[in-house]
Amino acid sequence: MSVFLMIRVFHMTTGWQVGCCGCCSALRPRYKRLVDNIFPASPQDGLVKTNMEKLMFYSLSSPEKLDRIGEYLFQKVSRDIYRRRHGYVIIAAEAMDQLLLACHAQTLNLFVESFLKMVQKLLESTDPQLQILATQSFVRFANIEEDTPSYHRRYDFFVSKFSSMCHSNHSDKKMRDRIRLAGIQGLQGVIRKTVSDDLVENIWEAQHMDKIVPSLLYNIQTAEKYITVECLEPESSEVEEPSRLAEACLRELVGRASFGHIRSVLRPVLTHFDRHELWVPNDFAVHVFKIIMYSIQAQYSYSVVEALMLHLESRAGCGAGAGGVRAARANVLTHIVAIAAGDSVGPSVLEIINNLLTNLRTSVDRDSDKDEKLYQEALINALGEFSDHLPDFQKIDIMMFIVSKIPQQRGKGSKQDETLQTILLKSLLKVGLTYRTTELNRAFPFAFLESLLRLSQSSSPRTRELLQRILHTLLDRHDNATRLASPEINYSQLGLSVEKCSRSDLIFINKHGFAIYSSLYEGLQLESNRVSNMSSIYTSAALLCCEVASDESAPDLLQLILSIQNSALTNPVLTRAQKCQLHAIVISLLALLPHCMHLPRLAEYAQKIIENRREEAYELLPPLREDYGDVQSPNKLPYLMVDQMTVIECVAAHGVDTSRLSAPSPYGAGARRPPAKHSWIEAGATQGRDSLADITAGGAAELDSGNSSPQAARCSPCLEPLDDEYMKFYDRYNRGLRTTMQSFGLYHQNNTEAISLESLRRAAGGPTEAERREAERKRGELNNTFRTRPFDQLLHATMPKYELKEKLEEIFNSISECPLLPAASPNKPPALDTYFPELFMY
Amino acid sequence: MEDYKFLFKVVLVGNAGVGKTCLVRRFTQGLFPPGQGATIGVDFMIKTVEVDGEKVKLQIWDTAGQERFRSITQSYYRSAHALILVYDISCQPTFDCLPDWLREIEEYANNKVLRILVGNKTDREDREIPRHIGSDFAQRHGMYFLETSAKEAENVERLFMEIALELMEQAKCKELPKYDGSLGPINGKTTSVGDSSCCNRS
Ligand SMILES: Nc1nc2c(ncn2[C@@H]2O[C@H](COP(=O)(O)OP(=O)(O)OP(=O)(O)O)[C@@H](O)[C@H]2O)c(=O)[nH]1
Ligand SMILES: [Mg+2]
Repeated sequence: MSVFLMIRVFHMTTGWQVGCCGCCSALRPRYKRLVDNIFPASPQDGLVKTNMEKLMFYSLSSPEKLDRIGEYLFQKVSRDIYRRRHGYVIIAAEAMDQLLLACHAQTLNLFVESFLKMVQKLLESTDPQLQILATQSFVRFANIEEDTPSYHRRYDFFVSKFSSMCHSNHSDKKMRDRIRLAGIQGLQGVIRKTVSDDLVENIWEAQHMDKIVPSLLYNIQTAEKYITVECLEPESSEVEEPSRLAEACLRELVGRASFGHIRSVLRPVLTHFDRHELWVPNDFAVHVFKIIMYSIQAQYSYSVVEALMLHLESRAGCGAGAGGVRAARANVLTHIVAIAAGDSVGPSVLEIINNLLTNLRTSVDRDSDKDEKLYQEALINALGEFSDHLPDFQKIDIMMFIVSKIPQQRGKGSKQDETLQTILLKSLLKVGLTYRTTELNRAFPFAFLESLLRLSQSSSPRTRELLQRILHTLLDRHDNATRLASPEINYSQLGLSVEKCSRSDLIFINKHGFAIYSSLYEGLQLESNRVSNMSSIYTSAALLCCEVASDESAPDLLQLILSIQNSALTNPVLTRAQKCQLHAIVISLLALLPHCMHLPRLAEYAQKIIENRREEAYELLPPLREDYGDVQSPNKLPYLMVDQMTVIECVAAHGVDTSRLSAPSPYGAGARRPPAKHSWIEAGATQGRDSLADITAGGAAELDSGNSSPQAARCSPCLEPLDDEYMKFYDRYNRGLRTTMQSFGLYHQNNTEAISLESLRRAAGGPTEAERREAERKRGELNNTFRTRPFDQLLHATMPKYELKEKLEEIFNSISECPLLPAASPNKPPALDTYFPELFMY
Repeated sequence: MEDYKFLFKVVLVGNAGVGKTCLVRRFTQGLFPPGQGATIGVDFMIKTVEVDGEKVKLQIWDTAGQERFRSITQSYYRSAHALILVYDISCQPTFDCLPDWLREIEEYANNKVLRILVGNKTDREDREIPRHIGSDFAQRHGMYFLETSAKEAENVERLFMEIALELMEQAKCKELPKYDGSLGPINGKTTSVGDSSCCNRS
């Protein structure tokens, strides 16, 4: 304040003096004289400072004169440019700048017209110095915040000219960089001036963006190396590199874009990459798209992903190598989806997935060549990368979504269907790999598990193998999968990691174990299995052992193992090699179980068999081989086989409940029930909730009711109100499986070769009377327990909350090309039948 | 001095190497640049000429012919009052591309833009496109036609003067194309900050 007053006084006095002495120039208006006086006699001397102060004071105290001062200065600039008196031009520009900055907000408009005319005039000059000077003035102007923007002002000349400068091709590299820098600065100025107010000049219009964006990209591209950082550090001094400044400018532009404007920026970006053929190689495109992702307002980052996805298939800029360009674009997508994932919410997540899957489908429909495969890989990678950055609950949603898109093969699927199936499974696997299973019931929601198990019976070996790999990644919480990649008998050196099975996992496996084991069992019975199919099913079973082994689940696992052995002995469709492979798997799993829980006697027994086989039947031991050469048929001598009774003895010694084990195999021609369920009873009983007497009473009651009716019919009414969902699931599986089981049953009985006393007995007569009774009793127990157990646990376990559930359903419903699994209904023929036509020949 | 009466925007297009930049430099600077490098993006030149005693300022945007710059150069078509489409009379491919150029112009330029077809390099001995082929083409597509040599300064001055004259007459008859509102005023007023003093549509 005091400084200002001093100047004011000073000017007052000098002002008078000028007024008194300037007789000769008295005819000229005062403002003109004041302007003239700021110019020195010789331009080298620069602006006459004291006179400039006078002019400033005058214009501040008589703001109504500002427009004339501005106009007069502009005239002088024009004349001096014309006469090439650049020294004076520079002085005039400096004066204009100072006046502009001194103007008060209300008076600014009076002056700005002339000021900008001067800037334009300077920009029109061919002299780079003047162009740079003009830019500096313009930037000064752009940084002034006007409270009332002038709506009639137009900037298209500036945008055009600055963009042109950004492409300067000046022969002197230094000068060229300076001109380009000036151009970028100018664009930055225009953006700052206009971006916040569309009424001033809608900078987002195509006519501007089509100039600004390519100009910036052209300069960013000149960087020697593309180093992408999340945030540019603010430059302390003036930026010297056009590429850096252009990047900063692009970030600013993108950062200021509101939702409606994003496409305006992205369209020219995509066009630029097409035109300049910058997709292959795509390091620059990755750089730029990352910059965009880092600078865009987080809630819009999805739009970038979307725009790029929509552009994936565009023919523009492809030339001959359309496939390569597509792959490269998809690869760029992979790099940015991760950034988007963090900010994506709800529907946009599925939208992205849906888009990627649609692109995959389109790709499959084309003739596949090497580039097309690369494209598909890139898309799948993008899918995986995206999922990797989503919370786990969304990954499950995504996996379910992908599963829903997998075409079901009925009879002979087309080759494209098969390819699509494989590709979608690969996608599923990719997503699955990013998921970290904590509790099994979260990793396998009912509908998801159901779909997976359905696919595990696909007629394509490749599909089945992929499916098992998906199971592996979802089951394997302890990184055992690679160690258990193929059947093995020396587990002690493997360094397996095993943890005690948690309560919720136990609940899960009690509920769904039967379906899972059945599908593994069935998977092993297929003629088309290759070694890799066999191994992968072994791995699933082995992982289950590691994950859920416990006193309660051991009987079921052992039952599975014994059933597999039985099938190796009796299934006529299997080849010699496949039978050998099954035996190797059986012994491997048998040896594994005691490794996962305390069963030393079983370990001993397994070891004994292994030793016997080593001596006499190496073909029954791992590793699995494609070809068993000289082996005529696998050795079936009883001491080389796993004997059911011995197994029962071994585990009973350690307190494992063996009642189920002595019951007929649920996988053979036996009772149809979910045997796992009754372990609830033990759990309940040990906790003292159910008295043994109650259970027995319930069992007896059950036994009395008609024994000719199908067992399922008797089970269902009791189970349904308790767990409708589970019953549907269970029904579907058993219906499907039973058919094949019965087929087994047929040749079972025809099989006259004695194997062991136990297996022969079972094969010939089915369950004994005692076993049947036992089974009935168990069923009664089961039903009773279902009446008394706490539901909420199971309900909780089977009904996870899906945030995206509605969206999913909406999309599911819209998918007509790949029909969903028909709703569980006993009227529908079981899908599985069609998968095993060969089994019906018997 | 800012005392022009009209401001017109002229945009030059055509294949790379046909001599657009040489034409502009011949006209604005009166020289034929030796070893003229390819234009990158867009170049800008200004020249004020006198037509019928009135000052006319020509803003000349010289675009790059190279394919890769096509998207940025197209963005300059829209505000053009006159488009000069150049080919090289000694280079058949540059003539063969004309239909493509016309399509682009159709798509990006105002439909009332003044279009001039120019066959450049008449000084060359190895002519491939006879004059009448060029003029026929121009006639068929409603364009003015002129053959030039930037090297020999033949018809270059005339080219731009004719354009200035034609545009001025159009402006005087108020026939100047009306652009949509978002573009802002078209003639002298196109960049209002630069030329508030000029006459414009009066
Ligand atoms: N003989 C002859 N050569 C010319 C003439 N005009 C231009 N050239 C030559 O043609 C070549 C290209 O000229 P430019 O003016 O750079 O061509 P352009 O159309 O601007 O090319 P781009 O900027 O790449 O689109 C240069 O080697 C010039 O010397 C002419 O009238 N006669
Ligand atoms: Mg050129």
